[in-house]
Amino acid sequence: MTWPESRSREGTMLITSAMVALIGLGDYLISWQISLSVIYVYPIAIAAWYVGPRFAYVLSILTVVLFTAGDLASDIPYTSWLIAVWNAIVRLVFYAVLIHMLDYIRSLTVGLETRVLERTTDLRKEIAERERLERELLEVGARERRRLGYDLHDGLGQHLTGTALAVQVLREKLARRGAPEAVEAARAVDLIEDGIALSRKLAKGLQPVEMHAGGLMQALQEFAGATTELFKISCRFECEAPILFSDASTADHLYYIAREAAGNAIKHGKARNVIISLDVRDEGSLLTVRDDGIGIPHSVPKNGGMGLTIMTQRAKLIGASFDIRAIPKGGTLVSCSLPQSPSIVEPSHADRKQDPHYA
Amino acid sequence: MPDEKFKILLVDDHPLVREWLASLINQQPDLVVCGEAESAQEALGYLGTMSPDLAIVDLSLKEGSGLELIKTMRVAHPAVAIIVLSMHDEKHYAERAIRAGARGYVMKRETTKKIIAAISQVRSGKLGVSEEVAALFAERFVDNHPRSRTPVEELSDRELEVFRLLGQGMDTRSVATNLHISIKTVQAYCARIKDKLDLANATELLREAVRWSESGVY
Repeated sequence: MTWPESRSREGTMLITSAMVALIGLGDYLISWQISLSVIYVYPIAIAAWYVGPRFAYVLSILTVVLFTAGDLASDIPYTSWLIAVWNAIVRLVFYAVLIHMLDYIRSLTVGLETRVLERTTDLRKEIAERERLERELLEVGARERRRLGYDLHDGLGQHLTGTALAVQVLREKLARRGAPEAVEAARAVDLIEDGIALSRKLAKGLQPVEMHAGGLMQALQEFAGATTELFKISCRFECEAPILFSDASTADHLYYIAREAAGNAIKHGKARNVIISLDVRDEGSLLTVRDDGIGIPHSVPKNGGMGLTIMTQRAKLIGASFDIRAIPKGGTLVSCSLPQSPSIVEPSHADRKQDPHYA
Repeated sequence: MPDEKFKILLVDDHPLVREWLASLINQQPDLVVCGEAESAQEALGYLGTMSPDLAIVDLSLKEGSGLELIKTMRVAHPAVAIIVLSMHDEKHYAERAIRAGARGYVMKRETTKKIIAAISQVRSGKLGVSEEVAALFAERFVDNHPRSRTPVEELSDRELEVFRLLGQGMDTRSVATNLHISIKTVQAYCARIKDKLDLANATELLREAVRWSESGVY
């Protein structure tokens, strides 16, 4: 049963009524011995499906009335008028059962469609929420690391400095009195100062990108140096001309993308040479990590490991596009391109002022 | 003879450090802490009334930057010597501090061992810096690579212009916009400057440009 969905309710009502009238006319003209009751099913079914059961009932009653009237009008030799009534009731019941079934099927179909739509909407919401959470997680992580690094460096470091000074005062007092405990006090000062050095190291690990515009270049340079030393491979940082990022969060994410990519190149790609490069172009800034390792599988699965997901997520977070591909001759190329320029830095080191522990 | 004691003003935003640094200094027979300030504003107020001989300044203050305070002091109170006491690594900040006008630089983690020595060095007219920093400064004066090291003066006018703008805190893109040239051209200039000044990478180039810019040569 095909019927254009776009047709209006009133239009359908009109057309189905006309069809019934037309069939009734035909019925009247054709010999009474042939029953056309099956043909009436079409308009009634359409009315039941597209308009509603109530109208379909009205239509079927109309059909039966027309039919019976036609029969009676053409002087059919029924032995009793009861037969005509019986026939009319049979038809009416037949149409009623049909209408009821169609209505039932229709309500099932519509319910199913609605449920699928609802589920799809829920799913979309869930996906959006999950992505938001992933982003939030990265941001919270970065923020917490920065805060912790700052607290360690500035809070704990300063506190320990004060403590070291206090013990030093004590040491000098003891020494002046010629007390042998002065030696132990001196040892305590050394221990506290070791603590300061340790807190600095921890802070550096938590917050590798220093909070000034040139911080990313410096951090990548240091990372390349440290990687070369630690893994006994060649890791180089290439940067033709200074690129400044006054946004600490952008610099942070780029740093971690580079670090993850270089780590993958060494761990999974067994690379001997890794080149991290930071480049400024007319279209924006480009971070690439190239290696000469065994490369990656041709098709990277969507959930190809946590590292890849996080790199992609980080890129998305700073509005950059991310790409990882095998280099034909061997190796892998990871690139992350930031469309707009890193925010213009005002002259005279305005960026420095945002740095809480600058100098 | 209490009047002849060397008067010191402490400028640091951390109370614990101020308190115990003052104790340590006051414990020395010839030194006395005459005042403590936690912001640049407060410090400038004390400088007018107390006329200290020396100020020990932290680079990070409650309000205002220590480096700016030092520059202001050099103009307003040139007689007061300054030693910087900072959490920051001397490798990165000592030279900037000295260029701004400080006479010494001590890292906080070495306070107990170095601060008193630095005070007496500065008092006797010398620079109060660690041996490492002193060696670093000496290296800058002694030309280790006579063939490759070229003074900034040998840069072409255009190169010098790029170098100057970098020193003012601009990056490649901003320099390109400012000089109405392409980014590629700026990169080419940067490569030539790096070559001429024998600088290993962009980070060094930036550092050198900032250093040169702050020294106020141009």
